[in-house]
Amino acid sequence: MSLEIREDRRETGLLLSPVGRIDSNTSGELERALLAKGAEPRLVVDLSDVEYVSSAGLRVFLMLARKVKAADGRLALCALPPSVRQVFDLAGFTALFTVESSPDQAFERLSS
Amino acid sequence: MAAETITAEASAAGVSGLAAAFDGFSRRHVLPARVIEASQVALDELLSNIVKAGVEPGNPAEIQVSFDFLDPVLEIVVSYNGAPFDPLARKDPDTRASLDDRAVGGLGIYLVKKLMDSVTYERVGGENRLRMTKRIDA
Repeated sequence: MSLEIREDRRETGLLLSPVGRIDSNTSGELERALLAKGAEPRLVVDLSDVEYVSSAGLRVFLMLARKVKAADGRLALCALPPSVRQVFDLAGFTALFTVESSPDQAFERLSS
Repeated sequence: MAAETITAEASAAGVSGLAAAFDGFSRRHVLPARVIEASQVALDELLSNIVKAGVEPGNPAEIQVSFDFLDPVLEIVVSYNGAPFDPLARKDPDTRASLDDRAVGGLGIYLVKKLMDSVTYERVGGENRLRMTKRIDA
């Protein structure tokens, strides 16, 4: 199964929206797509259309956060569905990321 | 409806097929979304662990998965041949470490333990067997 990743270039930064399941099968695609954008000054990942995230996906988000930090960029995640939020909370990942409820709020946070 | 048992090759394609089989099973039993999503994550963790660790060159292992739903309990059993290995014995990861110190090893099994109501390991007749359950009414 492949993972679709929508891209929306806004004045405020780049918005990426993966669609589907992020698991051992699709995490490779997510890794290629997200890490290619690791040098963006302001990057928001919208998770509203993600069904679930397994640890293979968490690993990619961790790598992305490190890459963005190394490039002095800013990263936020937004619109985590309940099951995705649960996995982030259990893994202690919520504390590692800026998490907002919508893309607009995420960009606002990154611009402040 | 009876339990369903599916056998797949221990490979990425096999794991993907087993996830699709669980989709079908959960639709037929009209399981709640939160149970399906938690179980799909748990299944992906167990299966990807086996694929990463369990296959010896020239000896492609098979994984057998059975799904059973006895209202209100969903049970998923994953069995495979291979050297005895209890993934549940692994120490839980530090989920409070900072971004720079964070390791992902062990996180998958930790998620299985937290997302499911129970998970057990057994060595049965030369097979590793992992059994997980989740109640749909919890």
